[in-house]
Amino acid sequence: MIDPSRTTTVTGRLIRMGVSNAARAEKLCSDPDLIQVLGPIDSVHPLLEALTFCADPDLGLLSIVRLCGSLVAGRDETDGAERGSAPDYKGLIASLRGVIAPVGDSSESEATEDRDQQIRRIFSVFGQSVALADEVIRHPELLNDLLDLTPGIGVDAKLVRARMLKAVDADPTEPVPVAGMTREGATPDNPGISTDEYTSRMRREYRRTILRIAATDLASNEPLSILPAIAAALADLASAALEAALAIARAKQDDHALSARIAVIGMGKTGGRELNYISDVDVIYVVEPAEGHDEDVALAAGTQLASDLALVCGSPGDEPALWAVDAALRPEGKQGPLVRTLASHVQYYERWAKTWEFQALLKARHVAGDVELGRAYVDKMNPMVWAAVTRENFVEDAQAMRRRVENHVKPAEAERQIKLGKGGLRDVEFTVQLLQLVHGRLDESIRSSSTLTALADLATAGYVGREHAAELAVCYRFLRAIEHRVQLRQLHRTHLMPTAPHEIEVLARAMGMRRNGSEELMGRWRTTKREVRSLHEALFYRPLLPATAQLSAEEATLAPEAAAERLKAIGYRDPVGALKHIKALSEGVSRRAAIQRQLLPVMLGWFADGAAPDAGLLAFRRLSDKLGSTHWYLKLLRDSGSAAQRLAFVLSTSAYVADAISQSPLSITWFDDDADLAIRSIDRLNAEIDAILTRADDPSNAITSVRALRRRELARIACAELLTDIAPQDAAHGISDAADATLGGALRIAHHEARKVRGLAEGSEPSQLAIIAMGRMGGREMGYGSDADVMFVYEITEGADPAEAGAYALEVARTVRRLLTETNEEPPLAVDADLRPEGRNGPLVRSFESYAEYYGRWSEAWESQALLRARPVAGSEELGQRFVELINPLRYPADSIDANTLRTIRKVKARVESERLPRGVTPTRHLKLGRGAISDVEWLVQLFQLQHGARVEGLQTTETLAGLEAARAAGLMTDRDAETLRAAWVFASSLRDALVLWTGRIGGAAADVLPSDRTMLSGIGRVLKYPVGEASAVEEDYLRTARRARNVMETLFYGDPE
Amino acid sequence: MDRQQEFVLRTVEERDVRFVRLWFTDVLGMLKSVAIAPAELESAFEEGIGFDGSAIEGLTRVYEADMIARPDPTTFSLLPWRGETQGTARMFCEILTPDGVPSLADSRNVLKRAMDKASEKGFTFYTHPEVEFYLFEQPVDEGRLVPIDHGGYFDHVARPAGHDFRRQVITMLESMGISVEFSHHEAGPGQNEIDLRYADALNTADNLMTFRTVVKEVALEQGVFASFMPKPLADQPGSGMHTHFSLFEGDRNAFYEPGAQYELSKTGRQFIAGLLHHAAEITAVTNQYVNSYKRLWGGAEAPSYVCWGHNNRSALVRVPMYKPGKSNSSRIEYRAIDTAANPYLAYALTLAAGLKGIEEGYDLPEATEDDVWSLTDAERRALGIKPLPQNLDSALNIMESSELVAETLGEHVFEYFLKNKRAEWDEYRSQVTPYEIKRLLQVL
Repeated sequence: MIDPSRTTTVTGRLIRMGVSNAARAEKLCSDPDLIQVLGPIDSVHPLLEALTFCADPDLGLLSIVRLCGSLVAGRDETDGAERGSAPDYKGLIASLRGVIAPVGDSSESEATEDRDQQIRRIFSVFGQSVALADEVIRHPELLNDLLDLTPGIGVDAKLVRARMLKAVDADPTEPVPVAGMTREGATPDNPGISTDEYTSRMRREYRRTILRIAATDLASNEPLSILPAIAAALADLASAALEAALAIARAKQDDHALSARIAVIGMGKTGGRELNYISDVDVIYVVEPAEGHDEDVALAAGTQLASDLALVCGSPGDEPALWAVDAALRPEGKQGPLVRTLASHVQYYERWAKTWEFQALLKARHVAGDVELGRAYVDKMNPMVWAAVTRENFVEDAQAMRRRVENHVKPAEAERQIKLGKGGLRDVEFTVQLLQLVHGRLDESIRSSSTLTALADLATAGYVGREHAAELAVCYRFLRAIEHRVQLRQLHRTHLMPTAPHEIEVLARAMGMRRNGSEELMGRWRTTKREVRSLHEALFYRPLLPATAQLSAEEATLAPEAAAERLKAIGYRDPVGALKHIKALSEGVSRRAAIQRQLLPVMLGWFADGAAPDAGLLAFRRLSDKLGSTHWYLKLLRDSGSAAQRLAFVLSTSAYVADAISQSPLSITWFDDDADLAIRSIDRLNAEIDAILTRADDPSNAITSVRALRRRELARIACAELLTDIAPQDAAHGISDAADATLGGALRIAHHEARKVRGLAEGSEPSQLAIIAMGRMGGREMGYGSDADVMFVYEITEGADPAEAGAYALEVARTVRRLLTETNEEPPLAVDADLRPEGRNGPLVRSFESYAEYYGRWSEAWESQALLRARPVAGSEELGQRFVELINPLRYPADSIDANTLRTIRKVKARVESERLPRGVTPTRHLKLGRGAISDVEWLVQLFQLQHGARVEGLQTTETLAGLEAARAAGLMTDRDAETLRAAWVFASSLRDALVLWTGRIGGAAADVLPSDRTMLSGIGRVLKYPVGEASAVEEDYLRTARRARNVMETLFYGDPE
Repeated sequence: MDRQQEFVLRTVEERDVRFVRLWFTDVLGMLKSVAIAPAELESAFEEGIGFDGSAIEGLTRVYEADMIARPDPTTFSLLPWRGETQGTARMFCEILTPDGVPSLADSRNVLKRAMDKASEKGFTFYTHPEVEFYLFEQPVDEGRLVPIDHGGYFDHVARPAGHDFRRQVITMLESMGISVEFSHHEAGPGQNEIDLRYADALNTADNLMTFRTVVKEVALEQGVFASFMPKPLADQPGSGMHTHFSLFEGDRNAFYEPGAQYELSKTGRQFIAGLLHHAAEITAVTNQYVNSYKRLWGGAEAPSYVCWGHNNRSALVRVPMYKPGKSNSSRIEYRAIDTAANPYLAYALTLAAGLKGIEEGYDLPEATEDDVWSLTDAERRALGIKPLPQNLDSALNIMESSELVAETLGEHVFEYFLKNKRAEWDEYRSQVTPYEIKRLLQVL
């Protein structure tokens, strides 16, 4: 019965100790077995105080109660009937009581400090690991291991091995230990104890040692400092277990497989001597015949040993299995033979192994079996590992690895991953390995197989900054400590952060975070993940800066050769040139240099993401030279992470934008703000033009400003295409709008000049003009290099002299052309009026009446096909509108077109296909005139417009996609056909844009042809947001899209041949 | 893999091989061969051998002529007709682009891709071809071909030339690791059939390329002439290459279902449905020459109509008699392919068609038990039985609009094949044949 007066205080204490279910805990405190062992629990009983060492006090209390139960039951059972093998329950009870004695009962006078330590060990294990507590309850004699204060870490590996072998009655001093041989009365033929029993013993001994390691780990105030020792102790224990398992495996064979010498080589974390509590143990086996034995026999025996060894460690049995022994890293992987001779290993690696296999060998270490053979193996392999990295695929492999580190394949449960997620353990390991791979072949001092040692060595040798290396080491230790505690909880192989709030709280306390438990833990975890990412950059890229550019003495600077290696490894083709740029960018005392020093390391990585890193870096240097220390530029780079990253991407992906930016560096400010990357509306452009012209006092300045505006908008659209996901037709609209506005501006200036010559006032011109856009400009489908196709129309002002009116109009038109094309610091806009009536032979300008008369004379309706694209863009709106009314009946004939016209149109198209295609170009690859390319879709839409335009209002548009949509909506083609055509038109258009953006070249024969050069294809693919190196996919995708479009077009345009 | 390379190098050394021939196949199914010295073998494995691809039918466009052939060590074999010592060996090659990526124009790669697609769904594709061919007397007079005997189906012919011939072919094939299931005299005079044992489709296609070479070599040695022309003699049966197909999921035959009709599983039925649905589209590839259509429409048991049946020897797809207790022998037989087809492309397409049937869950029409040839047109129409294309031209027209064929072959092979075959058709159409002269010259 519980004394009610005491209950409140006991409950209070329990709650203060962090117990969450006080009612249950209180009941546990009155457990009779518990009281039998520890005496009645009152509020001052040391048990309550001890709960403070528990990460999970409820669990701690429950476990101690269960232990008492198990001890009492054991004592009662064995009482009187002394059995040799049973634990000494009475003694255990006394020991436990001696440690957690009620006040006044502590008759023992042990040093209280030791007692505190013992309490701490018991309760930090019981209050954290469900699995280890169960283990102790199942085998109460393990209590002695908790009470024994000898640390579980820092034990000589030889001693660990000897203990483990002794547990299976094998002689550790024998060169070939065999289980059962040291047992009294055992003969080689009859060990007396079954190998299954030895397997159980080995597993128990293993778990006993784990318990000792865990107790040291969990009871420590400094889990991060002792982490390397813990990981090493675990690796030594695994080696010892492998040794014992091998001894058992030998015992299983009649002749103890003495024909075979076998060495077990640890790989991965085992090899690196940095194992965690539960994980697969990676090994490779080397077998040689013992003296006087045949190689075949030895290999057979060795194979049997290796597979038995795996079973002893990993198969289910009376005691739970330890872990899986994984031999998949062996030559040829799972297909290869399980064991090989040393010569066979050497031959394999000399001849066939891939770079990653050598990377795996980096960690190879003898862990069990024949020592000499193991050493011989490592000695043979070591030089090969590093010679191998010079092989041809080194750069590709290193790049793939870097991409793996930086871009990350998202694993399942990425958010909870301690190991594989962004900023997880794997990231740290890869960062270190990548650096080892890049520099280790020239420098022997950084070849350690342990992550932390290698990191320290890299810093000592000056390949990475000391501070950064130290910070990364802390991150690594922190993540590993979390991982260890997560695994200890249930002794499960897991690398996931728990999700239940209670579990997170327990984990936090186990990490020593008591005050704000889970919040603090999750916060630090997040920070650590972020830090790992940024430290990767700091470690990898910062040392590329020259010594003179370093901020502090703590930072490392690479020797030129080492820096070149590193740049080459991430895809720079001319590392020497790149280093020069880096030096120029980062040296000096200017503010610019200081900011670039900060920024450059990470930008080097960003350039490497583009298709041409070298070009990107060069463009960046030019930009920096040009801008000098312009205030806003430095501020923007410093303050806006996204602007710098975007800048790096466009500079290394688009020669066109690189060029545009160098001409107008102010464009960089757009990268900071998506609103600045939005395409400007025509109204906004016109307003700006209006402002320019109102301000301007000199026509040549005015036209320069107008042309500058167009250049600026083209650059903006190019940036938007690269950085945002605007559709290619949006870009085309933007480019066309800019041309419209430019033309309008030029027309106003031309009027102004013509008036001035004649001394006329504004409003008293003898004629009015309108400019009608044709072709792609009329369709608002211009590309970066498109000409402005136009026609000029004028109207005589009432009362003016017709001859004078015509002369005035002609002069204005000529001036427009001159203004836009004459040489000037801003790019020209070619004005092409060849689509006017009678082409080049006709007059440049015509009056409205002349057009009316000309069109009235037409006999062939098909000639009006070109007019389908006519759209007034500048000058008198009223005149433009009347022009549209004039041509509408021609281009949308009320009674459709007759069979004759249809035939003619088809004939012309067929002839264009065969004749206009440039010589030597494969039809399938021409983006404009090729099979299923732009002109196929346009001709089809135009045919529908001529046939049905009068009837279907939606078809009365100059734009191809709008016309296509109208034709679909009107049921002239199926939804599917329309989509096929649309896709091909859009793809071909965006390829043309991409060609300009990638090469920076406008026009020329190559501008309309899908390139076959694979570097070009790759680059274009990058512009179109394909992953790096997808040349074949770009090609195949386009050819397929165009083929489908051609099939649709042939049926719809040419009609069924039958 | 790498062990294989090692094995090859060792064998070359041990057997004192003096030349290694690297084999690959052009888009039309013609075997191409380049010989290298053993010293170059190691670098051939590592980097491949560069060659000018523009000279090979369909392999590449003229302006990117550089291609790389990299031998596949698993296909290594000594050529028995070159002698056992100081001999010659061969390996099939993978064709790569200059940047080391498998070329989309390599027909072996086309089949590999198709099989990869199948394996994504968990299937392995096995084929078992029955190859027919004619043996003629040397010297060959193209105007009047003389078969080496006058035997018929399964006839035991007294003149042993045919026997000897088959025996030597089989011995050679077996010595190259190609197992032969069956061989006999076929229906036509001088016509023989040899059935290769089933293997996965890529191996089978490799084996067929070897088979054709072996047959030609043995013929040369024995002073006769062998031809795989689909229809060399107008009044005798043509040479087909009926092929048995089966799909395996791991160790399990996916076509087998105990108790179902003909023990044929749903997967099997859908596979057949796919084949039938796309049969017309793939005919230009399975029957690629103008002459192929003389066989396809030559009557007798030629599979001219798209239908299937159990043991129906006039159907396009036949489900052979099930052998009780042999669940792994469940298979179907596709009878259109002829001996002149490019086996890589033909198997890639039949596989793709069958898989499409499984993917889309096509329904299998009723089996046809009648002899389709004996039905009238109206009857066939009533039964919904459509004909295969009548000639190369119409086969090409149907193929041209086939998404399945384009996807499977890849844009490059698809385009090249169509262009090449259109040219063949144009050339054929412009011929004036002896038949026309005989029929018309006198009477008109």
